[in-house]
Amino acid sequence: MPDTNMTKTQWVELFRETGLSEATMRQWHSLFEQRYPAQHQAFLEWLQIPAEEVAQIRQQSR
Amino acid sequence: MYTIGQLAKRFGLSRSTLLYYDSIGLLPASMRSASGYRLYTEQAVQRMTHIQTYRDAGLPLETIRSLLASGTDAPTAVLERHLQALNTDISRLRQQQQVIVSLLGSASALRDSRAMSKERWVEMFRAAGLDEAGMCKWHREFEQRSPAAHQDFLESLGIDEAEIALIRQRSR
Repeated sequence: MPDTNMTKTQWVELFRETGLSEATMRQWHSLFEQRYPAQHQAFLEWLQIPAEEVAQIRQQSR
Repeated sequence: MYTIGQLAKRFGLSRSTLLYYDSIGLLPASMRSASGYRLYTEQAVQRMTHIQTYRDAGLPLETIRSLLASGTDAPTAVLERHLQALNTDISRLRQQQQVIVSLLGSASALRDSRAMSKERWVEMFRAAGLDEAGMCKWHREFEQRSPAAHQDFLESLGIDEAEIALIRQRSR
């Protein structure tokens, strides 16, 4: 069965391979949180990140 | 041995739910006490644990009953079918979400919908310093590593089928 889900690790790898640095990824989360908070939440849930960690990531992005 | 109240408490269910499970033969009481009260053995607790797991997965009670009756430990086929059905539901819900957003047509509706649009992702990628070439590279990597997830991601943005096919084609 095709896997329609991505994990956080896969996503980070994908970003890294595209050439984004750790700092850029952090900045990207901040912007995401600032501009589209509800969508940021939905996106993190899509990556199957547990609720607690989602809250933490969003907290750090503020 | 557990009474129905103890079992209900342990699984966070109401007594009436357990009575119902008993009546449809999903979780029959193991025996009755001298005064006629339902009693459940440790085996029933284990069965209830399985039932709860499958309920959490959203399987209908009827399906759970036949799963447990068949005695298979790895109900892969049933779970895969259910996952497939969930994916279809998600797809349909996303379409409804996009239709409602376009009907409302206001910025606040889109903000509340949790839906991202293609334009918004492009905006986010630009903000992260990715140019056109960077985004093309990102799509190529995405397609190569997780083609099904790439499809799912593009669908979630409300992009129509023809354009998704085109994007994926160019990413190969």
